[in-house]
Amino acid sequence: MQKKELIAGLLVVLSTVGTVAGIYGIENYRRKKFYTVELIARAPENGNWYPQQLKIPYGMKEVKILIRNIETVTHGFAIPDLGVAVGQIKAGEVKVVRFIPDKRGTFPFMCTVWCSTRHMQMRGELIIE
Amino acid sequence: MDNKDKLFGLIDLNWRFELTKFKQVGKLFKSRWFPLLPIIVNLFIFVIILLAGFIGGYSSGSYNFGIMIVWILWWVMLMFILVPGFSRSWCLMCPFPIFSDWFQRKRLFGVRQGKLEGLGLKWPKQLKNMWVMNIGFLVTTFFSGLFTVKPFATFVLLGGIILLAFLIGLIFEKRSFCLYVCPVSGFQGLYAQFATAEIRRMNPELCKNHKVKTCFVGNECGYGCPWMLTPFDFKKNTYCGMCLECFKTCPYDNMGFFLRPPGVDLLSDTPREPRRLDEAWKAFIMLGIAAVFFLTMQGPWGVLKDMVRQATFKGWLIFITLHSFFCLVGIPGIFFIFSCLSKLFSGNKEVSLRQIFINFAYTLVPIGLGVWIAFSVGIILPNGSYLIHVISDPFAWGWNLFGTAHFPWTPVFTGSLGYIQGFVLVIFYLFATALGFRLSKQTYLDLSQAKRGWIPILIFLTLVTILFLWLYLG
Repeated sequence: MQKKELIAGLLVVLSTVGTVAGIYGIENYRRKKFYTVELIARAPENGNWYPQQLKIPYGMKEVKILIRNIETVTHGFAIPDLGVAVGQIKAGEVKVVRFIPDKRGTFPFMCTVWCSTRHMQMRGELIIE
Repeated sequence: MDNKDKLFGLIDLNWRFELTKFKQVGKLFKSRWFPLLPIIVNLFIFVIILLAGFIGGYSSGSYNFGIMIVWILWWVMLMFILVPGFSRSWCLMCPFPIFSDWFQRKRLFGVRQGKLEGLGLKWPKQLKNMWVMNIGFLVTTFFSGLFTVKPFATFVLLGGIILLAFLIGLIFEKRSFCLYVCPVSGFQGLYAQFATAEIRRMNPELCKNHKVKTCFVGNECGYGCPWMLTPFDFKKNTYCGMCLECFKTCPYDNMGFFLRPPGVDLLSDTPREPRRLDEAWKAFIMLGIAAVFFLTMQGPWGVLKDMVRQATFKGWLIFITLHSFFCLVGIPGIFFIFSCLSKLFSGNKEVSLRQIFINFAYTLVPIGLGVWIAFSVGIILPNGSYLIHVISDPFAWGWNLFGTAHFPWTPVFTGSLGYIQGFVLVIFYLFATALGFRLSKQTYLDLSQAKRGWIPILIFLTLVTILFLWLYLG
């Protein structure tokens, strides 16, 4: 009985603390493999891109940007100078953009889907330094 | 119940099929690992749900694991399969009270003899009913525009319920939280009366001669009923949480798990488990919420959606005022008028109006369940495909666990949605009328009075069904 009690306790700890620790462990390991930044997409009247300025070190093997659309409208994303673009990012969706930062400079990024009356102001900049 | 009574002339209301007669099922129900293991599995899933809700924050919820699993999968399974099919089977595997159980028993697997930990206070007598759950669930729906859309709101709701379950477990005895507070518990209890499964004692003589009543007081094999029922004689599913402790404590293996015809409990009215006003109001509230949810979530009226999603505070206040009035006063008020008409039509002077009102309120159990199942169809068919996405990327971190992270939103059978919903409504309307006339016979005793008294209630049920058919089929 004591052994079964121990197993039950262990299962509960694993399913709670173990699950949370495991999930964060896996994600940290994944993020270490690539240089990862998170970008939140919001229409200008709701706060615009966050952060509006992304800084990425030059010469990284690969950069991954997680673009999280937290709104209830569709957004898009593009960095024309780097030839990077994703299609529609629907409400609540997350899109992942991967590219190699092999050019130094400041590059504008923008929303590519008409999302609000101030859509044209939904812009930010990516600095590769 | 009449021994030859058949629903629609086909379904014998006394028919039972015992599943525990199969050795493996019986053995499973006696094992202390069951339902502990399903509870732990659900605990694991709910930890992921909570984490996804916390990480998802204020994102819109369509690609959030927490929102999708809770409001699309779990809710639909609850209303569609678990409650109508297997009574309170969700309570059997619910992880919410696991921490208070652990605290009270100081054990997860084994059986603690003697007094449980915690203050072990008795739940206040005035609140030993469904009113706390009625109001709690109604208040929860005030924030439905947040809970079903914003992941963090779902995190707060579920986290709050788990915390409350633990705190109440510290203060009050056994499963007081589940029995009197849990917002999910009340409607499950109500609609479980229609379920096609039940747990009951098998041989009444065995129980009568068994002096110790181990199912109530417990023994070395299991706990006395944590839901504080008397498994040796209860007749309704309403408050049985299916924890299966009575299977473990019965030395004669006299508890059984049965399949049965739907709605049998609605015809049961005993002095120990009478039909009650709080349960009647639960039926009104659930019907009202279903109508309001359809109008605000699946209907074409943007102005209502704006009110519910709190676009303006004033709009939201108008919503909660109208919503509360409609559920607590409006529907019961209209039903009261039809109950008065029933008494008038019947010509009966002896039966109280209160009894007529309460008895016939139970006809809303099949109607309400049908409306909720139809509403659930309206959730799962358009939105079910999101589930395929979120199981692969539960935290929106760009994971692709099962290779389905890029599965597009794919509504299915939405062209036929209204017809499917209409079909469900009609089926449950038929059950409501079949069971309702039996309720009328129980209420009035004299057949001619029962027939006359039934007419206004039948008209009410028909009007409600037509209203929902109009809503669903437009």
